[in-house]
Amino acid sequence: MKPRELVRIQPRPARGTGASAPGAGRSAIGRARYEEGMDFGAVLRATQGRREDLPPAPDFREPPADLAERARRALYEVADPEFPISLVDLGLVYDVQADPASGAVTVDLSFTATACPCMDFIQWDVRDRLLREPGVERVEVRTVWDPPWTTSRISERGRDVLRRAGVSI
Amino acid sequence: MSDVDTAARAFKAAEDLPGAVREPMGELLLVLADNKRLLGMRYSDWILGAPALEAGIACSAMAQDEWGHGRIVYAMLRDFGYDPHHLEHERDASEYRSSELLDRPAEGWPDLLALNLLLDTALSVQFEAMAESSFEPVHYKVQKLLDEERFHFEHARGWTARLATTPQGRRSLERAFAPAWRACLRWFGPSDDPVDAALEGAGIIDAGPDLLRARWLSRVGPVVSGAGLELAEETGVGWTTHVDATWDDDWKPGWRRSAEADGPDEDTLRRVRGDKNRPLLMD
Repeated sequence: MKPRELVRIQPRPARGTGASAPGAGRSAIGRARYEEGMDFGAVLRATQGRREDLPPAPDFREPPADLAERARRALYEVADPEFPISLVDLGLVYDVQADPASGAVTVDLSFTATACPCMDFIQWDVRDRLLREPGVERVEVRTVWDPPWTTSRISERGRDVLRRAGVSI
Repeated sequence: MSDVDTAARAFKAAEDLPGAVREPMGELLLVLADNKRLLGMRYSDWILGAPALEAGIACSAMAQDEWGHGRIVYAMLRDFGYDPHHLEHERDASEYRSSELLDRPAEGWPDLLALNLLLDTALSVQFEAMAESSFEPVHYKVQKLLDEERFHFEHARGWTARLATTPQGRRSLERAFAPAWRACLRWFGPSDDPVDAALEGAGIIDAGPDLLRARWLSRVGPVVSGAGLELAEETGVGWTTHVDATWDDDWKPGWRRSAEADGPDEDTLRRVRGDKNRPLLMD
């Protein structure tokens, strides 16, 4: 399957935020400096964290009950960019919902910190993986902060992984 | 979620807010986002050059936190008719609603501690007033933010106590804290601000300016008094919530800053907008 293009940086079109948008249209500072066609997203994609040291997904005895469960299990293959731990084991996946008829999947995802520098990368990886799952046509990733993520959400499996990586929790 | 909780979150989205509070709420969020963004900048000024390596690292972490908080709040403003990209990257200095305390770099470490203890806590007190907000999008974000802010306060408290162990250190703190103290008290706005009253009436915030000042004092007061700092000579009123200011001619309601200040200086503006790396910006 041809990889999806994630980000292509190019001059921004004027945004229609409505006449009531304060400050809208007053300034075009720097817009001329965008380099047309520069595919910075592709560069980042090529270097993304498909980690060879990510442990395989758990050996589930039962097949997934539905598309949502299949999607959730697929996220065991998406790694945190900094450590060899899946987003599921890290406890960042709060909910996965799916509509088998339309192929729409919605993932509620939190992050360890509000200033997580990898938020974009992680969301791209989630979309990228789920769109490779048969029957998934659309993916929406929703960021949630409630309840706040804490280390208590890390699975036992994840704790073992982190300990082996030298992280004390 | 209980029925009570559901009922308390009356407003699921910005469009659900009553007309009288929708614009003020957007303005309050913009004030908070700008303060977070600029405060992060001021922390970042000290990543190198702090009194200790650990303090520089703490400044790095606090800067990151503040930018994360700013990013969240700027993103919320889309639902209020603002363009977050424009807000973050394209405004002129006169359009920033951050405290005038942040317009220029902190001159010394005591000045940075004044921002760390006094202004950062003021922002947290304002966010805390929205922890049980009837405006759901805010309610579901505030606790995570406050959890992260606890470490900022501990950093400020520890360094204030440490610097105050010598007479010279206490004097440097008093000189730095006095103007910041006055500015932070004023930052909450006039006691009878009708906008705050409307927000409080709608359950979006749980307290008006005077109560927020009192909450702020209850946090920072023990730190400054415990450190043996004296403010009375500077202001004549001591470490109280008395606002030594007028509101009519030098205050921009909805901006929470002095009408006479120009805004962030040129270097601050260039950095805070990310001018240097603009070609690499991504959505």
